[in-house]
Amino acid sequence: MRRVFDTQLIGPFAAMVIVALIVALTTDRFLNPGNLSNLSLQVSIVALIAIGSTIVIFAAGIDLSSGSMVALLTMILAQMLKFMDLPLALAIPLILIIGASLGLLLGLITAYGRIPSFITTLAALIAFRGLALTFNNGSPIFSLDPALEPIFYGKLIGIPLPFFYLVFFYGLAAFTMNFTKLGREIYAVGGNPAAAVLTGINVRKVQATTFVIAGFMTAVGAVLMAARLNSGSPNYGQTLELQAIAAAVVGGASLAGGRGNILATLMGAMTIVIVQNGLNLNAAPSSVQNIVLGVIILLAVGIDMWRAEISALMARIFRRTPKAQTASEKKAA
Amino acid sequence: MPPGGETPPFGPSGENKAMTAPIPLWEFVDVSKAYPGVLANDRVCIKLLAGSIHGLLGENGCGKSTLIKTLSGVQQPDSGQILFNGQPVVISDPQAARQLGIATVFQEFSIVPTLSVGENIFLGNMPRSRFGVIDWKKVHADSAAVLAELEVDIPTEAITGSLSVGEQQLVEIAKAVAMDARMIILDEPTAALGEDEIERLHGLLRKMRDRGVAILYVSHRLDEVERIVDEVTILRNGRVVRASGETKINVSEIVSAMVGEDIAEHYPKERNATQEVVFEARGLATNAGVTDVSFTLHRGEVLGLGGVLGSGRTEIARALFGTDDLTAGEVRLNGRKVKFRAETDAIRAGLALVPENRKFDGLFFNFRASGNITAASLGGLARFGVLDLKAEEKGTRDLIRDLEISSQAEEKTVNFLSGGNQQKIVIARWLFSDAQVLILDEPTQGIDIGAKIAVYKLINKLTRAGKSIILISSDHDELLAMSDRIAIVQHGAIKRTVNAAELSHDDLVRASADPIDHNHRHPEEALA
Ligand SMILES: Nc1ncnc2c1ncn2[C@@H]1O[C@H](COP(=O)(O)OP(=O)(O)OP(=O)(O)O)[C@@H](O)[C@H]1O
Ligand SMILES: [Mg+2]
Repeated sequence: MRRVFDTQLIGPFAAMVIVALIVALTTDRFLNPGNLSNLSLQVSIVALIAIGSTIVIFAAGIDLSSGSMVALLTMILAQMLKFMDLPLALAIPLILIIGASLGLLLGLITAYGRIPSFITTLAALIAFRGLALTFNNGSPIFSLDPALEPIFYGKLIGIPLPFFYLVFFYGLAAFTMNFTKLGREIYAVGGNPAAAVLTGINVRKVQATTFVIAGFMTAVGAVLMAARLNSGSPNYGQTLELQAIAAAVVGGASLAGGRGNILATLMGAMTIVIVQNGLNLNAAPSSVQNIVLGVIILLAVGIDMWRAEISALMARIFRRTPKAQTASEKKAA
Repeated sequence: MPPGGETPPFGPSGENKAMTAPIPLWEFVDVSKAYPGVLANDRVCIKLLAGSIHGLLGENGCGKSTLIKTLSGVQQPDSGQILFNGQPVVISDPQAARQLGIATVFQEFSIVPTLSVGENIFLGNMPRSRFGVIDWKKVHADSAAVLAELEVDIPTEAITGSLSVGEQQLVEIAKAVAMDARMIILDEPTAALGEDEIERLHGLLRKMRDRGVAILYVSHRLDEVERIVDEVTILRNGRVVRASGETKINVSEIVSAMVGEDIAEHYPKERNATQEVVFEARGLATNAGVTDVSFTLHRGEVLGLGGVLGSGRTEIARALFGTDDLTAGEVRLNGRKVKFRAETDAIRAGLALVPENRKFDGLFFNFRASGNITAASLGGLARFGVLDLKAEEKGTRDLIRDLEISSQAEEKTVNFLSGGNQQKIVIARWLFSDAQVLILDEPTQGIDIGAKIAVYKLINKLTRAGKSIILISSDHDELLAMSDRIAIVQHGAIKRTVNAAELSHDDLVRASADPIDHNHRHPEEALA
């Protein structure tokens, strides 16, 4: 609250820097401008989706649906562009609206149907991918629109466009979470829903809203995904939801809700992508990448859970000498 | 070296002293404990004797609970020694404390709300039959026996979370009693209890003391402390400012030792009631136990609800606030009929509720004081959805100062604050909002004398500003002193309303006691 750049950012930032240093030292290509710009492209999709995943987590929910929703939305976009001949300027806003609407649907089921979000979005994870397969007999649709690719690969003053999307959406999200009524209400609902009810916050509406945000950000990610490959496919976005949640967790968001800083999620996403990049540069197989991702998630949550113990340990190490003195003083007296 | 360890050549109690005085069951020698930024216990020394009730007193945040957590093995001291029968020991965790015969009723409840009363009482040491299976018969029989010793009538199969806060507190106490401990620690055990229950608890504690149990007792209700304790230790800012051993216990002396100054007026009541009716209830009933509630509330008035534990006062608050649906009756605000389908409606109309159970219903532990204080007023603070953080900062800083809330509250999230400071923050929330009618359910529960007086002054400030208050309190003296009129509640119904000035303490006790069946828990049946 209030402090956009607070101490919660230090840990995730340090983690990101350390990981980057390790990768830079173990490979010679990491710091190539080509690789760095590739990195920013790579992080953009998961980082944008992670905005929504994180906000849902802030309100003590979880969104498992985003990966499948990406697949579904790229198929719908492909359908619109390829077979319905809709102009890009109409198709993209439509996709964003559909994404937000799907989010609204999940939000309503969760908040008003009182079904835990884990279940709602797990069902959606399965169903959305199934739905994606109903388009074009389940086959990918290629070569959608020549104007689509520049959305992802375009540059402005020499900087890749996705960089600007990140700045814009993370700026907007940080503003919302730290300076608006909605942001405060999201943290309140995640912190203590019973107290939120008694303070007059419309808890269900707030919960549903977080899913709308998540749906919208997933749609943004889906548009970029389609633009990147100029295609739609029911196979896109596999495990993307887990990467997005991992970004939030590595960024320090508490899965119990109410705690975390949205900007830290960006750092969490970068950390994960840098690790993947490092493994790629070292030609590690994708199985290893998944194992490493799992370990990172465990470590991130572990460091959070063991924070008290770690600081107690530090205190004990640094205070050992004066303590011994007091004890002996006492005996002498 | 960790504290404790092997037996030192010379115990701090010294050989010659041990001749004259009995060796304490437990003793703290220069125990210190720091949290980030505060030295919560500063070289504390305390001796707890078998067969003695030892009062531990002090303002909110002075370090009472910290001491208790150390003795219960919840945390380790930074330095100092803990002696058990004169021998240094390390209490590595709560399990170890239990094995050393320590039972603790913590300030923050540790019962599991989804389990039955019997399960909670024996949680962690369930009686088992020969085959290692839990002996349910014994669980319920034994827990019923403990409850009977406390003279409370709670079915052992009841789900604990469905009980009132007071009953839950009794279950907590029963849990400690059931451990058959040699050292019982009670951190504000009576905060949610009425006079009757307190009397029964005291009776039980005296019995246990006479059996040779050592008891450490924390409370902010000094009248009660005066009655029960044999000796006191007073802490201020983490240090012992008055050690036990001195004889006569004198409340005003205790207060000045606690606060560091004399207090002239405990109940600074101002009369601000007008003739104008602001709020009116007619024949309210709910399925949650409200049977017949009618009253009027005037501008600037404090209407006290008097009654025993379980008489339905909290349920009345819930009915007024739209939490429970009305099955009969109507509510009028400023002469107009209103219907609250949910709390949101009530809050929008200008009602506020300071709930009894601050941990579960009141606080956002992820926020600092400011976020907690403004949570009910975000609409007023926002313009086009954007919060005015400067106004929030200023308004909350003023309140933190007025209510003498620890200045740490500005920087730290409220889970780091002492219980009393947390309670003040919950109240501050409604002072910040522009509610017209405030329902205060046990507002001074667990807060120190200074803070209580601060709350009374705030009640005055509110009524002076034309706001009206419904006050629920188990502290009869407080209720009598701070109310203009008192409504007597029995079985979820208001029996009569009288001027507070015409009522004495004994009248109130007698009037609120149940004439039909003292322990009956279901008002509907009682009337049928
Ligand atoms: N877990 C914690 N982390 C940091 N500070 C803490 C923690 N627990 C307590 N404190 C601080 O330590 C001090 C002593 O707190 P403690 O809970 O012992 O007070 P108390 O005497 O029990 O007060 P009360 O009467 O309000 O219950 C306070 O300043 C409090 O803010
Ligand atoms: Mg305490």
